[in-house]
Amino acid sequence: MSKTVTPWLDNLLQEIEGIEIRRKDSRRVRIDIAADSLPTLLELLRGRAGYVHLSAITCVDWIDESQFELVYQLWSYESQSLVSAHIRIAREPGVYVSVFDLYQPAAFFERDIHEMFGVYFEGSPDMSKFILTEWNGPPPMRKEFDSEAWVNETFEWKDYQPDWLKEITEQGGGIVKTPEETRQKNP
Amino acid sequence: MKEIDIPIEASVGQSRTNPLARVFDELVRFCRSRSMFMLHYCTGCGAIELPPAMTSRFDMERLGIQPMVTPRQADILLITGYVSIKTLKRVILTYEQMGSPKYVIGICSCTVNGGMYWQSYATAKQLDQYLPVDLYIAGCMPRPEAVLEGMRKLMDRIRSDEADGWKDYYRRYDWYLGNQQHLFGDDWQTPADVIGEASHYDLAGPGTEGEHTRLLQQCQKPLEPQQTFFQIGGSLEKKGEFHE
Ligand code: SF4
Repeated sequence: MSKTVTPWLDNLLQEIEGIEIRRKDSRRVRIDIAADSLPTLLELLRGRAGYVHLSAITCVDWIDESQFELVYQLWSYESQSLVSAHIRIAREPGVYVSVFDLYQPAAFFERDIHEMFGVYFEGSPDMSKFILTEWNGPPPMRKEFDSEAWVNETFEWKDYQPDWLKEITEQGGGIVKTPEETRQKNP
Repeated sequence: MKEIDIPIEASVGQSRTNPLARVFDELVRFCRSRSMFMLHYCTGCGAIELPPAMTSRFDMERLGIQPMVTPRQADILLITGYVSIKTLKRVILTYEQMGSPKYVIGICSCTVNGGMYWQSYATAKQLDQYLPVDLYIAGCMPRPEAVLEGMRKLMDRIRSDEADGWKDYYRRYDWYLGNQQHLFGDDWQTPADVIGEASHYDLAGPGTEGEHTRLLQQCQKPLEPQQTFFQIGGSLEKKGEFHE
């Protein structure tokens, strides 16, 4: 078996509407596809082309375009090649369909994305809290969540100029660059 | 489940009369400082420097410091690095299980003021708001030499009776509990009866009880044995229930 993405796959995929295929190199293909067609594509890739391993689902928050991008990374052991399928869904209400029936590891990825971005996957077996069991705030990876502001609101900071440090500073030691300087955003 | 009343006799108001008591105290403190068992709760990346500090290269054991596997047998709780809010709960549970006297060492800059995770929503920033820290060893991460130096410092402080963070936890429990409730919510509770322990050790002060401990008592749910299931030869048996 050759270690490339087989050309017949291209022909097969051209049958799907609204698809854009870009070859990154001989063993990597990027596919942009309409959200509606993704389950069909995955079914084709899994059933007909040997892409049996879903290595990850990643989510990107494009807040200016009011969209979430979901990237499905698929790996084929036979042709040793990677296909990444990109879709965009609307940020509101942020609902998409689960691919758990095709790839069972998707349950974990979807649960994680639900927790971090608030995207709801219909048909996923478990959408309850996963890692952030102690977290009651908004999904923290969404771009509108300001982690720094939340931290400043929740925690207090220790004094960086305590008395004992002054002695050390007089002897030529101490803090070179204060955290306040570091924290100042560049204008 | 039957409740058993164990009478606790506290030596309230009794002052020591034995003139040799102080000599013995000093001896006890010396021995205590030379035999420390540490529970290293490896919360963050700072734990990487501990294996060389413990093993043959730097050999902590020559100072009498050894790793210990359970909190109930340990003297030192070593927090090695950033503490996420989720971990902090477990750290507090662990700390309250340890027998007094107990000491907490915060290794790494992350325990001092958040370190490089200062703007992260997931980590607690100052460890000493939630637990009484006896000693900080700053650095990202501190070298084994620094860890040993810090340990020697703690030994000195134990010998001179300055390392009394555990007493502070009893005396100002209300403040510590308030900070814990601020992070974990009002219904935060631990199995340990800290106020009872404080009066047992004769360490209850004006800061032991307050508005936060009242809130704790309001929200307290009775402890129940955890139900665990395990399988013996095909049948499911329930553990944690009492059979007659
Ligand atoms: S201070 Fe540095 S080494 Fe220590 S836990 Fe923080 S990031 Fe890790």
